[in-house]
Amino acid sequence: MPLLLALENVELTVIKISSDQKTKQHLASLGVIQGSKITLLSKKLGNIIIKVLDGRIAINEDLARQIIVA
Amino acid sequence: MKFALAGNPNSGKTTLFNALTGATAHVGNWPGVTVDKREGSYKKLGEKIDIVDLPGIYSLSPYTPEEIVARNFIVDEKPDCVINIVDATNLERNLYLTTQLLEMDVPVVVALNMMDVVKKSGNEVNATELSKKLGVPVVELSALRNEGIHDVMKKAYEVAKENRKGHSVLETEDFYDLITKVEEKFVELGESSPLFKAIKIVEGDEALCAKYPQLVELIKSDKEKYKDNDFGGDFEGMVADARYRYITANYADTIKKIDKKTESKSDKIDKVMTHRIFAIPLFIVIMFVVFHLVFSEDLFFINGISKGNAGISGETAINVFTGMGYDDIYLEEMTGVITEKYEEDFGDEADDKLNSAISYVANKVNVELQAKGEEIRYDDIDNLALEDMEIEDLQELLVYSGGDVEEVNPVIGIPSPGVFLQSWMGFVTGKLIDLGAMISETWPAWLSGLLCDGLLSGLDAIFSFLPQILLLFLFIAILEDSGYMARVAFIMDRAFRGLGLSGKAFIPLLMGFGCSVPAMMATKTLEEEHERDMTIRLTPFFSCGAKAPIWAMLAVAVAGSFLGDIFVFSIYLLGIVVAIISALLIKAFGKVKEVPPFIMELPAYHAPQFKNLMAHLWEKLKHFVYKASTIITAAIVLIWFLSNFGWAFWQGMVGIEDSILASLGRVLQYIYYPLGFTWGSEGWKYSVATITGLIAKEDVVATMATLGITEKTIALSNAQIYAFASYNLFTLPCFAAIGAAYGDSSKKGFWITLLWWLGCSYVVSLIIFWLGYLFEHVLVVGIIVALLLVATIILLFVYTAKKRKKVLAN
Repeated sequence: MPLLLALENVELTVIKISSDQKTKQHLASLGVIQGSKITLLSKKLGNIIIKVLDGRIAINEDLARQIIVA
Repeated sequence: MKFALAGNPNSGKTTLFNALTGATAHVGNWPGVTVDKREGSYKKLGEKIDIVDLPGIYSLSPYTPEEIVARNFIVDEKPDCVINIVDATNLERNLYLTTQLLEMDVPVVVALNMMDVVKKSGNEVNATELSKKLGVPVVELSALRNEGIHDVMKKAYEVAKENRKGHSVLETEDFYDLITKVEEKFVELGESSPLFKAIKIVEGDEALCAKYPQLVELIKSDKEKYKDNDFGGDFEGMVADARYRYITANYADTIKKIDKKTESKSDKIDKVMTHRIFAIPLFIVIMFVVFHLVFSEDLFFINGISKGNAGISGETAINVFTGMGYDDIYLEEMTGVITEKYEEDFGDEADDKLNSAISYVANKVNVELQAKGEEIRYDDIDNLALEDMEIEDLQELLVYSGGDVEEVNPVIGIPSPGVFLQSWMGFVTGKLIDLGAMISETWPAWLSGLLCDGLLSGLDAIFSFLPQILLLFLFIAILEDSGYMARVAFIMDRAFRGLGLSGKAFIPLLMGFGCSVPAMMATKTLEEEHERDMTIRLTPFFSCGAKAPIWAMLAVAVAGSFLGDIFVFSIYLLGIVVAIISALLIKAFGKVKEVPPFIMELPAYHAPQFKNLMAHLWEKLKHFVYKASTIITAAIVLIWFLSNFGWAFWQGMVGIEDSILASLGRVLQYIYYPLGFTWGSEGWKYSVATITGLIAKEDVVATMATLGITEKTIALSNAQIYAFASYNLFTLPCFAAIGAAYGDSSKKGFWITLLWWLGCSYVVSLIIFWLGYLFEHVLVVGIIVALLLVATIILLFVYTAKKRKKVLAN
């Protein structure tokens, strides 16, 4: 499912990221790639905060829709 | 020797840089504070070592402009050693960059920063073990506490003397033969860091692939084999995945985690600060408190709420020590008491009675002075207003009218720290002006005029606002250093997206309420050029502190002065509304450019560091003084010259009416004619004031005063006043802000911005004036035109939203 629809505070695995190459690269350098474990910490009017490794990353709604997790 | 500091954003590079070089570069608790590389030197090793602080990078595949700066430096300038600062609280993520740095043929020292935080939470990182596995020295460090910084330098100095060959964690991957293939070619070409470059070619790095198309061709067929794997042939994804797999498999056991809670203290704070309902109200409250502490003259509304019963009156120690300008307040109270008394006692005849009383007292004072052989005080008794009289004479007038002087005891509030500091600064600069007048008494008229009327009063207007500006910066620095600003960008992102900006643009715009100059400089953290240009273009519309005196003056002049506060409020609101409409217009008629996705690391909250805050203020102060002593001083001298000399300037000084400035003003008067505020014989003065506002916006009021226009003598209709106010709000900002805009915009964007400011001020004033004119004369037509305008703006909204959807759909 898209990350936007995932439950909060549950460990998720990234299945696919369907954004442009540049964004993917940036996400990868922050630790968000296919197979990485992330946790959705909060949703705020569509924009979200996730925990990945030991960092907290804020992502806007459109991009959160492009990240598919399970 | 030259060492480079490289590491993730917000990992403490700049803190280490400051500690090593004794510099005071700005450190903040949000990613992207360092936007350009910075150089300094370290002298404690016998040999002088140049230290280069690079902007934070998450990887060597650059994403934002500052990341490109960092990568190009390491690749092209070949430092003798790269000190890789690693945030030990987020080790795995930070090592992602380390694995890439290790692929270059450059000595590397890993500095494990924030070890104090790690130890405090009970966790452990085994530096010796990590060093063995990475194959480079690892040194523990706490840059903030100055612990271990010299050990890092000593180690770096040692390894810098040796050559290091790059090696990769990708060696065991099945696609490594592709890398070897390209690497061999690079070795043949005699390139530096062949391994690093080969990996980037395989990854499909834009810059390197464009430079070596033949190498891309070389492995094209080999790449085909991987087309159907998990990543669908996306080599960048494969490489990133391989790196993280290696990091987890090999380095993860160097960290011993005792603190296993998923929810940190920061997360708990964020539950409130980024709450889906409270986040924005909370932010508004926080900002209001900041503005209140800086600009309020009645702290916490103590007097307003208690209706003066709090007992803070004019004679209390508070007001004496705060330098609140008691005389002005007393004068105002006194004139109020007298006017009221006459209205009560005489009703309809109040004005006549008051005027005769004024004449009587003024005459008496003049006669007494003449008897003593002194000059008379009041020249034009027939037109004398209460406000123009001295306090002692007003007291006499009150007694003459049968009032009690003791009853005049004005109630004023406790000033906020900002107003307090400003009052004292004004006191000091006022004394400096007096001193200047004393010193220059015997000088030739032109020289003393240049010193007192030109330089000193010009600089006074600017410097008296300095304490307030610094205090505002202090509060903003506290918000920044604590980590809150990163959250604000996140909260505002959604609303800004509709305007073609990302949430990161909000911080500069907000700073615009204080001063446009630092606000424009803060746009460096924005990723896209068009976003920076747009943000700079909108910044001056957020009415800055220097424009406030203009609104304050005009507020008194607006008919029915009880509307004064609504007038000022409406000006601030007008600025924001026009900024929104501007953004929409630019979006509607410019090329639709995609707003970059918002991805921002939210740093952990921490208490602001006193040292950081002071360093920040010091930098701001230096910048301010530099600007004031160069460009602003030069402009002041120029304006002084233009307003004191005629075209035949060799014939000596002339009155302002005959000055070059006046004749220029008369030309401008016709350009401004359609805007209404320059109608009439005094019109040229208003046009001149808009020009002197270029030096500093405070000069608008100062110039008008010199030309004999005060809040009492403005003879403009409300429509004209509004047009004049909006013209000053939207026109070119001061030279300092124009300079900042020039420095941070793209070349083309800068000229469009200048035209936008000029066009916007003219068009908005034009609309406001004629709309107001219609309202004052033909109300019905005015209402119809106003409704049409609103309808146009709504259509514009709908149009841009549709256009954006269409473009994004393709």
